[in-house]
Amino acid sequence: MTLAFILSGFLVVTFVLVICKRITALIRAFRIESVFLFLYTLYMGITQRHADLFIVCGLIFALKAVIIPFVLLRITRRINVEEDLGLLVNPQLSMVIALIFAYLSYLFAHKAMSLVNLAESAAFIVSITAVCIGFFIMVSRMKALGQIIGLLVMENGIFLAAGSIAGGMPFFIEIALFFDVFVFVVIVEVFVYKVNRLFTHIDTSKMKSLKG
Amino acid sequence: MFSIFPKQLFLVDPLAVFFLIVIGLVCVPSAIFSIGYMKEESRRKKAIGWSLLVIFALSMCLVVTAGNLFSFLVFWEIMSLASYFLVVSDFKHEKSVSAGTIYLIMTHAGTACIMAAFFMLYNYAGSFDYNALKEAITRLPANFINIIFLLLFIGFATKAGVVPFHIWLPYAHPQAPSHISSIMSGVMIKIAIYGMIRFFITILGPGPAWWGAFILTFGIISCLVGVIYALMEHDLKKLLAYHSVENIGIILLGVGTAMFFWPLGIAPVAALGICAGLYHLVNHALFKGLLFLCSGSVYKATGLRDIEKMGGLIKVMPATALFFLIGAMGISALPPLNGFVSEWITFQAFFAGIMQAQGGAKFFMILSTAALALTGGLAAACFVKAFGISFLAMPRSARAKEAKEAGFSMKAGMVIMSGCVIMFGIGAGFIIPPIMNISRGVIGADSVRGSFYMVSVLPPLIAGVLIVSGAALFLWFKFGMRTKQVSYNTWDCGYYRTDSRNEYTATAFSKPFRIAFSFFLLPYRKTEKIRDSFYHVRKFTYETHTTMIFKNYFYEPLARLVYSAAFKMRKLQPGSIHLYIFYIFITLAGLLAFASLF
Repeated sequence: MTLAFILSGFLVVTFVLVICKRITALIRAFRIESVFLFLYTLYMGITQRHADLFIVCGLIFALKAVIIPFVLLRITRRINVEEDLGLLVNPQLSMVIALIFAYLSYLFAHKAMSLVNLAESAAFIVSITAVCIGFFIMVSRMKALGQIIGLLVMENGIFLAAGSIAGGMPFFIEIALFFDVFVFVVIVEVFVYKVNRLFTHIDTSKMKSLKG
Repeated sequence: MFSIFPKQLFLVDPLAVFFLIVIGLVCVPSAIFSIGYMKEESRRKKAIGWSLLVIFALSMCLVVTAGNLFSFLVFWEIMSLASYFLVVSDFKHEKSVSAGTIYLIMTHAGTACIMAAFFMLYNYAGSFDYNALKEAITRLPANFINIIFLLLFIGFATKAGVVPFHIWLPYAHPQAPSHISSIMSGVMIKIAIYGMIRFFITILGPGPAWWGAFILTFGIISCLVGVIYALMEHDLKKLLAYHSVENIGIILLGVGTAMFFWPLGIAPVAALGICAGLYHLVNHALFKGLLFLCSGSVYKATGLRDIEKMGGLIKVMPATALFFLIGAMGISALPPLNGFVSEWITFQAFFAGIMQAQGGAKFFMILSTAALALTGGLAAACFVKAFGISFLAMPRSARAKEAKEAGFSMKAGMVIMSGCVIMFGIGAGFIIPPIMNISRGVIGADSVRGSFYMVSVLPPLIAGVLIVSGAALFLWFKFGMRTKQVSYNTWDCGYYRTDSRNEYTATAFSKPFRIAFSFFLLPYRKTEKIRDSFYHVRKFTYETHTTMIFKNYFYEPLARLVYSAAFKMRKLQPGSIHLYIFYIFITLAGLLAFASLF
């Protein structure tokens, strides 16, 4: 019951990410998604009685729910651009596409993985959906922040997938991944700031002019 | 068993040693020649030239002694790259760079085929070692071996310059410095022949008889096309490059005969065929190396490569002319020099083949014999042109008039090679038995005995007869025939005076051949007359060209196709980062769909 609540919460927030039109809304939605991931890991830690998982879920909360959103919100404030994300696909159609992804993930999970445990298969479907939606956000949002959040959403999805089918990755790898993601966000912050200073925008669709 | 690290690093068998000797015979004189040839270059260019030369020579040695596919491939590639950098060493000329590019593209296309074949072999044998491969071959399905054969053939034929893969040769060889042309034409393209013998005969062999017929067919085409193009060529080094195509064809005739008769169980003919191929290989290395060195000496002295602008060089460069004549006689297969011996053995192999073969094969062998005879004749005609137009008569340009004889080291290089050309002709009786031993070893038939008594005595005999009769003729001419000497002007058709413009040109010399082979050469001409009146033509321009059918009808359409495909592919890359991420996503989705199929 608890697991069902957490997973459906995760799924709903992932859908919310798709219809966000503003940068800050997207970052906040990502924060809520990370909180659900934290809850999922906590639940796994409690049921499996595994000390490592508590450390991991603490890290998730600290990094993904607090520090990364904070850093991203700070950069949006600092570069002081307009809030609009620049949607290549409007929210309604995005939602439809996200639903199609969810259905395809369901098909894939049943065909490819043949999972017997209902909870496991549900978590796996949700995770694949999150990966697809992360990709979709990267493709269909013009501003560089869209690509960053898209990647982080994908990362969340992959984390969930690993947790659902393999009971989590080895501890060391998880720590390394957190470190990677954190470094990624810090670097991206600097770069987005510099790019904005240099070009006065962070619109990646304008990078077409770089091609010779 | 299954290991990526080969156990057998080097394989030095008689075949490899033979090729090492060939490499040494050409590289050492060429290196000596290059001392004089590169004298005026800057220090830096000399240093680069020498180090590349050493890398080039060493990599060839390592290719022939490699004991496994992997190191073969690595050294092969080092050899290709070293020669590429040597071709473009004159990088300020646009022509050198474009010649280098053509060479690089062709050689890598060939290497790609070789790599594909090697990996297919590795996949089955589970090892890169030659010995392990040889054992594994028996387990391979026949179709599979045939595909490997074809891939390897394309790869090696590209390097060897077999028609229709010869396209890079006439570009790359003339652009390289002459001592490098000498090594490239003399040795490097032979390394591909080594590859063919090593893989087709000792590792994959004995294959089906059609392999032999296949190689023979390409040999016939190469030697005829090579010599016909050479006849049409006026650039001395390009002419020599086309002769390399021709001679590779002749070598392939020998190898092909061996591959044709070995599976039929007629080992003596097969051994004779390989012997002929190997002997012609070392001979071609010698006389072609010599001829390239001579052309380098001429180029150094005059700055010319177009024989229409030379003429009269025998008076100012007598030594170079003599060496060129020796090389030309060798390549035209005139007795008693070395080209004669090896072509004679090739003929013997053909005749023996005609006696042994049945039905259609008999006809095919007769055809090959005819092709070889025609090639020999045309090659002689071509060198009459090359020597006559460039060394005899009056100089056609100021540069040819003011030429100076080559320096000591250049002469030394040419002397060594012309000495070898003569020795390999007259001393054939001493050289054939070891080569025959090698060829017996290659096909694993130790008991076979060939009949060579004719070959071993013939060249010295002919040499003796020629010297004696020549001396007799000279004496008769000197003392017997002419009693008094009259001097008068040459009758000159009513012209006020004859000068070099009245001389027979190379274009004119080759015209009968251009007409005879017009079905293949597709010549066309352009004339332009500027008249003052009907009777007085002030200016007359005459141009004639031949159509390069392989270039025009195969390579250029192919290049256009590649370009147009590339321009279409360019649309895939519009610069939009979203689209690029979308590609990744589509790929991922495709993979997921693919995975869910199973």
